[in-house]
Amino acid sequence: MLRAGLFPFPPFGFPMQTKRTTFRSYWLPYLLIAPQLAITLIFFIWPAGQAVWQSFLQEDAFGLSTKFVGLRNYVKLLNSPEYLASFETTVIFTVCTAGLSLGLALLFAVAVDRMIRTASAYTTFILWPYAVAPAIAGVLWWFMFNPSVGVLTYALQTMGYDWNHRLSGTDAMILVVLASSWKQISYNFLFFLAGLQSIPQSLREAAAIDGAGPVKRFFTVVFPLLSPTTFFLLVVNINYTMFDTFSTIDASTAGGPGQSTTILVYKVYEDGYKGLDLGSSAAQSVILMGIVMVLTFIQFRYIERRVQY
Amino acid sequence: MAGIKLSAVKKTYPGSSEPAVKGVDLDIQDGEFVVLVGPSGCGKSTLLRMIAGLETISAGEIVIGDKVVNTMEPAERDIAMVFQNYALYPHMSVRQNLSYGLKNRKMARSEIDRRIEETAAILQIGDYLERKPRALSGGQRQRVAMGRAIVRDPAAFLFDEPLSNLDAKLRLHMRGEIKHLHNRLRTTSVYVTHDQLEAMTLADRLVVLNNGLIEQVGRPLDLYQKPASTFVAGFLGAPAMNLMEAEVAEGALMLGGAALAGGLQARPGRVTAGIRPEAIRLRAEPGNFRLDYVEELGGTRIVHGHIGAQRMIAQTDLATELSDEMTAELPGAELHFFHAETGQRL
Ligand SMILES: Nc1ncnc2c1ncn2[C@@H]1O[C@H](COP(=O)(O)OP(=O)(O)OP(=O)(O)O)[C@@H](O)[C@H]1O
Ligand SMILES: [Mg+2]
Repeated sequence: MLRAGLFPFPPFGFPMQTKRTTFRSYWLPYLLIAPQLAITLIFFIWPAGQAVWQSFLQEDAFGLSTKFVGLRNYVKLLNSPEYLASFETTVIFTVCTAGLSLGLALLFAVAVDRMIRTASAYTTFILWPYAVAPAIAGVLWWFMFNPSVGVLTYALQTMGYDWNHRLSGTDAMILVVLASSWKQISYNFLFFLAGLQSIPQSLREAAAIDGAGPVKRFFTVVFPLLSPTTFFLLVVNINYTMFDTFSTIDASTAGGPGQSTTILVYKVYEDGYKGLDLGSSAAQSVILMGIVMVLTFIQFRYIERRVQY
Repeated sequence: MAGIKLSAVKKTYPGSSEPAVKGVDLDIQDGEFVVLVGPSGCGKSTLLRMIAGLETISAGEIVIGDKVVNTMEPAERDIAMVFQNYALYPHMSVRQNLSYGLKNRKMARSEIDRRIEETAAILQIGDYLERKPRALSGGQRQRVAMGRAIVRDPAAFLFDEPLSNLDAKLRLHMRGEIKHLHNRLRTTSVYVTHDQLEAMTLADRLVVLNNGLIEQVGRPLDLYQKPASTFVAGFLGAPAMNLMEAEVAEGALMLGGAALAGGLQARPGRVTAGIRPEAIRLRAEPGNFRLDYVEELGGTRIVHGHIGAQRMIAQTDLATELSDEMTAELPGAELHFFHAETGQRL
């Protein structure tokens, strides 16, 4: 989705080189970007335009007639308690998932960074698979939390907690948050580790001589220097949790029980494909598109002015 | 303020078979400016970082003031360090960079401000206290890095090649300022460099390190005039001392069958003889010296040539006439004699 480019910027504000090519022919540059332009038009702009158009229409229950209703779909949405509840669910889900995956990834990255700095270089290579493995292991969560055969369900039961994400909304939310963060940790981890590695050792040493203990050093020197990485990851993670977690939710809770894990993206699907209310579904898509645009704007705005020290 | 005492200090890095520092004894007086000098990889930085507490000490003892600091954290040792890359905190302004160490030590706001004003005045950095390091030139960063050390008013300053990132002119200027600053503050300083000129000019006492061991310690001029080994002789001075495999027989220095100097008190036998380029006296009349080429330094000349098969560098004033065949006179009093095998001064 928005994950444009793997390395959007180096953690330290190195000046980016601008390479400018001058074309002699007037048409050549347009010819060269034509394929990209065509793909964008056919697979992006066209459906987006359709969605916008669709959001102004309303079909009758049998799909026989369609009429133009203006902004009524939007008004209905914003007055619908279900939609607003889904908004709230999305916010809770996003904050928890992004917080958990960023927090854990940072914790792991700091631990590994320390190890790499103190131990010999080959630890690095040993650790790469560990960084990648969680993504593969993500699927284990389903089995572990399965209400009838799951290991963790059983463990929780023996501790007196009756886990059932098919009945309890809270349990369901915890499950999707865990599963979604788990998948994202490795990605965040790699970025945090790269960011930590690019902070010169002498800065930490200077801070140590300046009387800052390890914790203070982290919060006053290391973490502020990581802030470009952290901000970038925050935007990426918000995007991920809002849009890329569809399959996770569909496979584990299907938005339930009730509406408890129906985030905005899932609601688009539910109302459109299950409820067949195409007008409302389209309006929801347009709102999501708007959110994506705002996030993208913030991200690029920030990256433009990324040198904040 | 305090002295620093090293006793049999050793350092072996984990995973490496040879120690980086192989047993160093050094007694640094309170207020002294000591320069550690030596070729790349001889263990200068390692030694300095052990004093700072940034590296563990494998064996031996380091005392700062009257406390053994072997197991103390860097912060507890009351030292300040100036790093080669300055290590300024990039996200903090100059003022915050200076105050960071003081705030961490819970100093009163008014006292911090007073010290920053004072330091800024000493180093003339008052105009850019609110700027971030990236908005400063190399020389200004260097000053801020020194300011961060001075503002702490520590027992000792440790410098690890602080001038090596500056261009030649600025380096010369900052060298003078450091010397001046030391005369004013009189804080015990340990300064690491591999630039022998920097070492000679700054040091109260010079420590020449070679391969993890102290080769010689002393006042710069003493080391220059009486190098304890061929290593020190070759390391100090530019151009370096001429060193030649020769023989002393009947009070004369014999090189390739020809007598170079006479009337010597030295014991007969094979030796390594040395003479500084500026001690050689060149005359224009044809003789033992074959001129290869000349380097003009403006005020003086460096004359490269041969005596027999031996390369020889001489330094002359502009009044000396040059020709392809010259006579080189090596005054006996200016000759240094070293053991032919061990290289130790005889
Ligand atoms: N962290 C380390 N781990 C292993 N060996 C090291 C480490 N740091 C330095 N060494 C080794 O210890 C020896 C001394 O290094 P040191 O950095 O003290 O040299 P130096 O005299 O400061 O040289 P330079 O003038 O190049 O800075 C070198 O052989 C170096 O390879
Ligand atoms: Mg060094």
